[in-house]
Amino acid sequence: MTVETDSFASGSPPPSPRADLVTAAVFVAISLTVLALALQMPTFTDRGGDPYTAPGIVPGFYGLVLAGISSILAVRALRRGALKRQAETAAPSGLYSNARLAIAAGLGLVYTVGLVGRVPFWLASALFIAAFVGAFEWDPGATPKARLRRLAVAAVIGLVAGGAAHAVFQEIFLVRLP
Amino acid sequence: MADGLGQLGGALAGFANFGTLFNVLWATLLGIVIGALPGLTATMGVALMTTLTYSMAHDSAILILICIYVGAIYGGSRSAILLNIPGTPASACSTLDGFPLARQGLAGRAMGISTAGSWLGTLFGTLCVAVFTPLLGELALTFGSYEFFWVAVFGIVVAGSLSGGDPLKGYMAGFLGLMIATMGQEATHAYPRFAFGSVDLAGGISLLPALVGAFGVAEVLQVMRGPAFRAVSSTVDSVIPRIRDVTQYWRTILRSGGIGTFIGTMPGLGEDIAAWSSYAAAKRASKEKEKYGKGSVEGLMAAETGESACVPGAIIPVLTLAVPGSAPAAVLLAAMLIHGLNPGPNLIVSTPEFVYQIVAMLIIADMAKLFFGLTLVRPLLWILLVPRERLMPIVFVLCTVGAFAIAQRTFDIYVMLFFGLLGFVLRELKFPMAPLILGLVLGDLLDKNLIRGLSLSGGDVTPFFTRPISAVLALITLVSVLWSIPPVANRIGALFRRR
Repeated sequence: MTVETDSFASGSPPPSPRADLVTAAVFVAISLTVLALALQMPTFTDRGGDPYTAPGIVPGFYGLVLAGISSILAVRALRRGALKRQAETAAPSGLYSNARLAIAAGLGLVYTVGLVGRVPFWLASALFIAAFVGAFEWDPGATPKARLRRLAVAAVIGLVAGGAAHAVFQEIFLVRLP
Repeated sequence: MADGLGQLGGALAGFANFGTLFNVLWATLLGIVIGALPGLTATMGVALMTTLTYSMAHDSAILILICIYVGAIYGGSRSAILLNIPGTPASACSTLDGFPLARQGLAGRAMGISTAGSWLGTLFGTLCVAVFTPLLGELALTFGSYEFFWVAVFGIVVAGSLSGGDPLKGYMAGFLGLMIATMGQEATHAYPRFAFGSVDLAGGISLLPALVGAFGVAEVLQVMRGPAFRAVSSTVDSVIPRIRDVTQYWRTILRSGGIGTFIGTMPGLGEDIAAWSSYAAAKRASKEKEKYGKGSVEGLMAAETGESACVPGAIIPVLTLAVPGSAPAAVLLAAMLIHGLNPGPNLIVSTPEFVYQIVAMLIIADMAKLFFGLTLVRPLLWILLVPRERLMPIVFVLCTVGAFAIAQRTFDIYVMLFFGLLGFVLRELKFPMAPLILGLVLGDLLDKNLIRGLSLSGGDVTPFFTRPISAVLALITLVSVLWSIPPVANRIGALFRRR
C-alpha cells in the first residue's frame, strides 16, 4: 500500500541574538509594569489584615524574578552580538510562508470576532471553513472551470462541516454553542 | 494489597457495560486519529474533549479523556513510521528507527513493534500507578504550605530546564504562566488583580480556553505557516507483533518502562522527553548500537515503551499532588477539577477508590489501543491523506467551541485567541510551551501556599528552607537551576571526571 500526504513538519530557524534582545526587553518591560502595579495594590492592613496576605506580594515576587531572568537573556543576547550589524539571513524560502500565516490568522480573527455570536453558529462555521479551504486551495494558474469546481468543493466542505459541528455538539453532546 | 486488588476488580466490573465499552472504543480510536494526524496533539485532543464531555458523569468523562490521551500518544507513531513525520512531539524519537524500517519494506513489523512496546509501556506505567499512588498519596498528606510552595517551584524549574531547548526561556515561560495566573480575584481578600475594571478579567483566566489557544490555535497557525507539501511513500506488511521482538528485548522494555514512568512523574516533562531518554538509555546499554538510526527494532521498542509508560506516570502526581506530569495531564487535571473531583493529597483519604478507577480506565484504554493497533491499519492510513487546508479550519472551529462551551462566555473565545497568538509567537522564538502551561496550572497552588506560609511564619522565610521535605525540594530545585547553567554544569562534570 502506498501512502502520500502533506508534511506538517514545523521547525522554523532559531531566533537571532537581536530577536532575543527584543524579546528580553519586552519581558523586562512587562515584569516591571507588573511589579509597579503590584506595589500599588492595597495591603488591607488598615482593616486589620495580615500584611503577609497583601494581594501584591505574589505578582510582585513573580515580576521581580521574571525581570531578573529576562535581564540575563538580554545580557546573553548582547554577548552574542545582538547589537552588531548582522548579515541578512534569508529565511528558507518556500518552506515558511508569512502570507499563509496572515491569511489563516486573518480568517480566524474574522470568524471569532466578526461571525461567531452574530450569525447562527453552523452558518458562521460553514462560511469560515469554506473561505479557509477556498483561499488555501486557490490556484491562480487553473482554468476558470477548475477554479469554480474548487470553490464549489470548498462550499460543500464548509456546509457539511458546519452542519456536522452543530449536530454533534448541540444535539448529541448537548453543548451550548455561541 | 488485597484491598487494592478488590477495589480494582470492582472498578473494572463497574466499567463492564455496553455504554462504557462504546465510549472506550470511539474515544481511543479518536485519540489514535488525533495522534496520527500531524498538527493535532494529545493536549489539544484532551482539551477539546473536556468540553464535549462536560455534561457527562465524571467517571465517563475522565474515562473518555484517558482513552484520548492513551490513544493519541500511541497514534503519533503511525505517521512517524510511515511518513517520517511525528504525529505528536512525543513520537519524534520513533522516526529514527521506525521510518528506516518502513523504507526497508518492514512498515508492518515496525507498527507491530510500536503497538507491542506502547501496550507494554502503558501496562508497566499503570502497574506503577496502582502501586505507588497510594504510597505517594500518604507521603503527600504530610506536606504543608512550605512543601507545596516548593513542589510548585520545582515543577516550573524542572519543566523549564528539561522540556527541551533553552532553560532560560523555559524559566521565563514558566514565570510568565505564573504571572498570568495571578489575574483575577485572589483568595484572601477577593481583590481583583490586574482586572482594570473589567468584570471578565476579574473572573480570572480560565485554564481550558488558554490551553486550547496555546495548543490548538497556535498549532493551526504554525502548521499553516509551515512547509507546504512533501510526498512520502511506504509499504505495509503484517502488523502482528513478533513474539521474538518482545522476548528478545525484555530488558529494554522494563528499563524503558521504568524511565518513562519516572519521567512522567516529573512535573511538565512529558512523553517526548520520556521517549528520548528511554532511547538514549537503550542505545547505551545495547549490544547492537550500530543498528540505531538505521532501523533498530530495539531502538523503536525503547522509544515507544518509554513514551507510553509516561502517560500513567504523568497521572501519578496529578492524583497525589494535583501537579501534572505532562501537558495533556495538565488538561486532565483541569477536567478533574471541572467535574468536582478533588485531585491532590486529600484524594487518597476522601475517595481512595478513584485511584483504582483511574487504574482500571488506563487498563481498558490500553486494551482498546492494542485492539485498534492490530486491526485498523489501512483506514488509519487513509485519514493521513486529509490535506491540512481542509483539516485546520475544522480544528479551529473545534477550538472555538472548546473555549466557549464550559462557561458560555464570549470572553473565553478572546482568551483562546490571545493564547493562540502568544503561543505561536513564543514557539517561533523557541520558548517551550510546557512551562507556560505548568505556570498557569500551578499558579493557584503557589500563590495560596506562599501567602499561607508567610502568614503562618509571620513573614519569616526560614521554614521554607529548614523543614526536612522543604529543604530537600529547595536543594533539588537549586541543583536543577545550577545544572542548567552550562559553565557550572561543565565544572561539576569536570570535577567528577577528575575523580
